[in-house]
Amino acid sequence: MQHSNIFDYKKYRYFKLAVVMILLAFAAFLVFEPAVGHYGGSWLGYTLGTISAALVFWMAWYGIRKRRYRSSGTTQAWLSAHIYLGTALTFIATFHSGFNYGLNIHTVTYGLLLIVVVSGFFGNYAYMIYPRLMTENMGEDNLDGLLLRIAESDKMARQIALVMPDDINNTVMRACRETSIGIGLLEQLRGFQPDCPTAMAVEELTMLGQDLPADQRKLYRDLYSIMVRRESLVKRARQDLMYRARMGFWLYFHVPFAIALLMAMIAHVLAVFFYW
Amino acid sequence: MINCLLIKISHSTRGVLSRNYRTLTSEEISLGRGAECTIHLLDPRLAMHHAVIKRLDDGQLYLVAINGELAVDGVVQQHIELSHGKLISIGPYQLKVEPAPPDVDIAVSLLLLQRLPDDFQDLKLRTHEPLRGASSFKRRIALWMAAFIALVFIALPLAQNLIPSLNKTMAQLPLGFDRVWSPGHVSNAHLHFGSQCFNCHEKLTQQVKDQACVKCHQNTAAHIADPALQKRVFNSSGRLSDGMRCAECHREHKAPHPLAKQDNNNCVNCHADIKAVDAKSTLADVKDFDRSHPEFKLSFIREHHDQLGKTSLERIPQTNKTRLVEHSGLKFPHSQHVGLVQGPNGVMDIRELSCSNCHQGEGKEMRIQPIDFKRDCQLCHANQLQLGLGKQSFSVPHGDEETVMNALKVKAPKDQARYANSLKENGCAYCHEIQASHKDSSAPWRVKKVRISQDWFSKAQFNHASHRTQKCVACHQVEQSESSADVAMPDRKTCLRCHSGNSPKPKRIASSCMSCHAFHNAHLAQPK
Repeated sequence: MQHSNIFDYKKYRYFKLAVVMILLAFAAFLVFEPAVGHYGGSWLGYTLGTISAALVFWMAWYGIRKRRYRSSGTTQAWLSAHIYLGTALTFIATFHSGFNYGLNIHTVTYGLLLIVVVSGFFGNYAYMIYPRLMTENMGEDNLDGLLLRIAESDKMARQIALVMPDDINNTVMRACRETSIGIGLLEQLRGFQPDCPTAMAVEELTMLGQDLPADQRKLYRDLYSIMVRRESLVKRARQDLMYRARMGFWLYFHVPFAIALLMAMIAHVLAVFFYW
Repeated sequence: MINCLLIKISHSTRGVLSRNYRTLTSEEISLGRGAECTIHLLDPRLAMHHAVIKRLDDGQLYLVAINGELAVDGVVQQHIELSHGKLISIGPYQLKVEPAPPDVDIAVSLLLLQRLPDDFQDLKLRTHEPLRGASSFKRRIALWMAAFIALVFIALPLAQNLIPSLNKTMAQLPLGFDRVWSPGHVSNAHLHFGSQCFNCHEKLTQQVKDQACVKCHQNTAAHIADPALQKRVFNSSGRLSDGMRCAECHREHKAPHPLAKQDNNNCVNCHADIKAVDAKSTLADVKDFDRSHPEFKLSFIREHHDQLGKTSLERIPQTNKTRLVEHSGLKFPHSQHVGLVQGPNGVMDIRELSCSNCHQGEGKEMRIQPIDFKRDCQLCHANQLQLGLGKQSFSVPHGDEETVMNALKVKAPKDQARYANSLKENGCAYCHEIQASHKDSSAPWRVKKVRISQDWFSKAQFNHASHRTQKCVACHQVEQSESSADVAMPDRKTCLRCHSGNSPKPKRIASSCMSCHAFHNAHLAQPK
């Protein structure tokens, strides 16, 4: 039986709460429409805005809460609420805006909120999908184990290549010395390297092995299979790095934009009361 | 033959250098990874046949590259003369020409300078942790963004407000820093100064005051013509402030919505319970046109019998049918003026008349023009002004009785009395009511002054243009009317066939107070 996770925590307690909040806000939005159309400064607008602001602060508090071991409630409960109420917050803030957008601090605040929420959704997706893929990719191994096996195959490949012609030796040498795993953010996020030296070496070896003397054929076959195995090991290592990078990358947006959102929200509220 | 002393220098595990001497004798001394080489160096960084030591034509010993690279001080060379003390890089090895003992041609030492690195450690160096330095990056980005927002959206607009000299400078520009605080579009009429907030928002944290509006709207009259009512409505509306601000009803930053509030709440606030505002008011309470609105009152022009020529408006509810009698002074049966009617030129002259033959709309709102004899009646009723028979016939002008009598005096001085009588019986009296003449008048009788009510709903505005898709008779049922005393104005029920109150109903359009009424006859008052 599957354990309960952050999504169905306590039989979807926070999901239900979020749905009720969205429906209430939507009903109020439909029923109470000011003559000049919906806007943030009507009494309904102020109410929805205050709820949104409180929710934003509460969401931000999660960032502090999850780093503390001694506090009320399980982290699982908090995260479940964070996800569902964050979704509800998006709807409430949208009703608060009354769909009025322009080049001003108010829309900037709304845009930042959307960035934070959308990046949060990607985080959800990552945590739903990638852990399983990581296990599928790595099995019992870990990254260091993979690297150790790659190093071992390097040693064996070089040993064989020592007695092979120069071009084969050079190809193997280059593959061993130049293959890198996850250098740079882009490589980490896409999980493959278009001009990977190992993959190129395997390709070159296929060509180079064609006119070898008979006594080297067996050695060549051994070398080739070692390099092919090496290639798959490198691929798996890259995949592993990709999953881990993608699982953390959304936080590059979620966290800094959340901080920016807090500042923008302060500016948004100040602006409203500075110029009545 | 070359006699070569090879000194292999190697590091022991303790780091002590040990030298291993060997003498090689060969025609050429080859050097490389291959097993067949004289100097066999097992290192993948060397070529199978890397280089060879041989005597060239000049009789000197040279190191000549075959498949590998040789370098002296980092410069790649093909042949290198092996002179005493020379240092040559061969892949990871360093070859040094040592002082040769007398029995050999040359002595060289080989030292492995760059060991093959540990594969695992080497690979680890080329494997990066996912998202290295993420937390410091996130912290920096967060701080920069927060600082940027604080600067652009708080500090600069505030600075403009707090530093007068900065405000003065910014006033020259099309936009101020505080433009970013604008919550919505400024209405079209205010756009030309609306991008500079201080034009209306004079003081920080203070709501826009009326004096900001009055800077431009100096000549705006009181909104309610009755000064007492004006004071009651605007100055003590039960709010905390001592008076209502313009901006409470004229909401800016809501374009494209109109600047003035159009919603019923404003009206209903007072009119739902009008006695609470004005105990002496005779108005009925109104909340909604459909559910709570009094029946219409029609405005009649009434003549004062004691004061000659003086009139006043009397408003009579449509429910009071017995009093709905029009005293226009005309004898006009609508029933005889609709559809196919007899023309003036004999039995064969049949004409078709419709409402618009006489009632003509004018202007954008198609306001119905007053009936005019020349335009609307003369075409058929010229005969009524003709007197005499055959060649002696003549006509009198359409005008007051004095003018007609004067014309008679000129055209038929002998038969003046007869013709005057004829006009009294048939000519003028065909359409007009005839009354006894005033004491000081020379005319024997007079025509009653025509007073056709022009504005039946004097407290509302009706736009014929927006109802042009309807037939006239849908609201004005005049086809059966035999007398000009009949009133054919639609009542509230007729309106409710197509209109509803504040909210729309099936097949009925929502109609607010402002759909028919203007705000307290705004602009009718005199400017102060």
